Amino acid sequence: MSLKSQIKAGLIGNPNSGKSSLFNNLTGLNQHVSNFPGITVDKKTGIVKLPHSTFIELIDFPGCYSLYPNSGEEKLVVEILSNPKHPDYPDFIIFVVDATDVRRQLLLATQIRDLGLPVLMVMTMKDLADKRGMHFETGGMSMTMGFPTLLTSNVSGEGLDELKDYLFAFRKVLIKGAKATLEDNSWGEDFHLKPGESHHNPAFQQLIVRQAGTDSKNQQDSAFFYDLNMTEKNIVAQLKDKLNAKTDYQALIQIHHSEWLEHLSHELKDEITETKLQIGFKSIPLQIDETLQRYNKFSPVVNRFLTFKIQKGFSITDKIDRLVTHKILGPAIFFLIMFLVFQIIFSWAELPMNWIESAFGSLSIWAENILPGGWFSDLIVQGVIPGVGGVMVFIPQIFLLFLMIGTMEEIGYMSRVVFMFDQIMKQFGLNGRSLISLISGGACAIPAIMSTRTISQQKERLITILITPLISCSARIPVYTLLIGFAVPDVQVYIFNARGLAFMGLYLLGILMAFISALVMKYVIKAKERSFLMLSLPEYKRPRIKNISLFVREKVGAFIIQAGKIILLISIVLWALASYGPTEKMDQAEKDAISFSQENGLGEEVTGNLIAAKKIEASYAGHLGKFIEPAIKPLGFDWKIGIALITSFAAREVFVGTMATIYAIGSESENLSVSQKMAADVNLTTGEKVYSPATSWSLLIFYVFALQCLSTIAITRRETGTWKWPIVQFLYMGVLAYVGSYFVYQLF
Amino acid sequence: MHLLQLRKNEAARIIDYLDKELASRLLTLGLLPETKVKYIRKAPFGGAHYIKFNGHAIALRENEALSIIVEKI
Repeated sequence: MSLKSQIKAGLIGNPNSGKSSLFNNLTGLNQHVSNFPGITVDKKTGIVKLPHSTFIELIDFPGCYSLYPNSGEEKLVVEILSNPKHPDYPDFIIFVVDATDVRRQLLLATQIRDLGLPVLMVMTMKDLADKRGMHFETGGMSMTMGFPTLLTSNVSGEGLDELKDYLFAFRKVLIKGAKATLEDNSWGEDFHLKPGESHHNPAFQQLIVRQAGTDSKNQQDSAFFYDLNMTEKNIVAQLKDKLNAKTDYQALIQIHHSEWLEHLSHELKDEITETKLQIGFKSIPLQIDETLQRYNKFSPVVNRFLTFKIQKGFSITDKIDRLVTHKILGPAIFFLIMFLVFQIIFSWAELPMNWIESAFGSLSIWAENILPGGWFSDLIVQGVIPGVGGVMVFIPQIFLLFLMIGTMEEIGYMSRVVFMFDQIMKQFGLNGRSLISLISGGACAIPAIMSTRTISQQKERLITILITPLISCSARIPVYTLLIGFAVPDVQVYIFNARGLAFMGLYLLGILMAFISALVMKYVIKAKERSFLMLSLPEYKRPRIKNISLFVREKVGAFIIQAGKIILLISIVLWALASYGPTEKMDQAEKDAISFSQENGLGEEVTGNLIAAKKIEASYAGHLGKFIEPAIKPLGFDWKIGIALITSFAAREVFVGTMATIYAIGSESENLSVSQKMAADVNLTTGEKVYSPATSWSLLIFYVFALQCLSTIAITRRETGTWKWPIVQFLYMGVLAYVGSYFVYQLF
Repeated sequence: MHLLQLRKNEAARIIDYLDKELASRLLTLGLLPETKVKYIRKAPFGGAHYIKFNGHAIALRENEALSIIVEKI
């Protein structure tokens, strides 16, 4: 082992093993999210502070069941752990196990150990295990398994100090190298160990040293938990020289997954495939044999060192699930929860959203007053500040939705939702997990699309990504609100308000169209691999504030960074398009406005607004609007709406602001609202109102279906890795919008 | 018999698997031969099944559950 000063530990474990909680406990706020190179899987890294002002770097790997992976996230774990040259290849592994269910999790622990990586096993949820009367003899278990094992509780914090001592010991050994550590008699004293603690036992220290020495040449061939059979030995012997592997087992894993491992060259892949055929290497039967052999090897260890009383009767989880997954009550409870969730979002988010809006409004006015004028201050006042404000205003809704999704996830409810609705979703080519993404889409498509990463089958994931933007997001709400004002009279229908019903109808229309589109895609898109459910339904647990707050921080952060930068950029571009135009025409527009106002004796403020309105007509944006007018005329839209359709690409709610500018409503104007001005607008050729119910409905349908959001296009590009899918998404939604609007307009 | 031939709350022991690819994944999750499994309930809209084993709960799709051969205890 080469000498190094920085030690990197990988945090690995099954999903729901308490891994994230442990990561949060060890790193606190010293963590940040980035991407694993070349792939869109979040990489959470953090710093663990250790005694004597030392530290190690901790990488949180995605949850994983085995080195024979299922999902893209699991594949990433194998990609990195099978390649000692990978920049994220850890120096050792902290393997996290849910103490209440040790046996099946040891499978992956032993696989990782056989890769040649030193392992420290941390059994979390000691509190739960204690409650069930489970007893672990960690000493015996450690010595038999060959890696140190300890018990912790993420709730009480028990065992965390001991864990840090272990990390310190691992760091020490890995930096010094195994050999030097053995020769140095004083190394035990550096351990910062308190006398009488189990890990003070020199035998435990030996375990660390012995593991650290694994990759030295003489022990290279040792397999610890699994003896390769003849076929496997044969193929490894043939290929090992060409593979970059520390142990035979690591070479074997590379051979198993040669088709998709990215660190293998094409020639090597071809050679491996050929050798596999020659030798008769059949991956799946070999996997089964290996898995069974591993269980046979470690099951006796578990039986020997773990004792517990057999539980009688039904646990709390059983009782809750009897209601929550009940044939009729289950879905009823789910829909009730969803109703409450969206009720809360709409009622609680309104106030902070108003604050944010007025704060940015005041900021604009303030900046306008103190800045010297000219294009730069216009950029700040009309481009940057409204752009940032346009991002911020969504935060309350996104925050609230993810707070509630995060809580349901943390408690363990979400996996029940997946279980209940998997069948329905499957009919549409989706997966039960798609439902969670679609619900998130009710806030914003960006974090929703990112959350599809947990869907293992590519086809199901792709369809989920493609249909998510059809779910009405928070940016559509202001547009719906404004336009419903024209489309629907303010009357009561039985006990309901007609406008409220129209609002709900638009939401349902989006949902309905999402499912219809999914059904079509199910038959068009081809699947490469089989689809699985096999979903673990963990015990319900009390939610931990820390985990939820980090979850929410991650999601809101994703929105601010991914969508925010694009919204801001587009806002600036659109500001430029709307502020500039061919100089001649712009000047002419201003002159016209001034002379008009002089003839009619208009006040200063009204004149200013009129100039702005005339100027936007003469600007590049105005030209664009007029350019597309022939195309959108059959939908009942004029060039003004054309401008708003274009500016909506920053974020749909920009429609409202653009309308305000076009209809010459200054921000200070209190006399007439945007909607009143829009309502008064008359079509010059026909003499009819522009915002007739027909046009308004047509426009509403357009906003339900059209993908007018560059951030979504960018995120689809990122998540699918090609431009093909964002283009498909933009086109199919565009066709839906155009055809839908056309029919609605012609219907009236 | 296969897993779905069990009645509600009936327990059985896994003896074999019909589909190798599914088997390799089921083993990973701990559904080993000789494991005692209990059928709990069907999902509200069908398609998925709630199974318990070793004190843990898991949801399996129809085809996944059908591939598990069990014998009554």
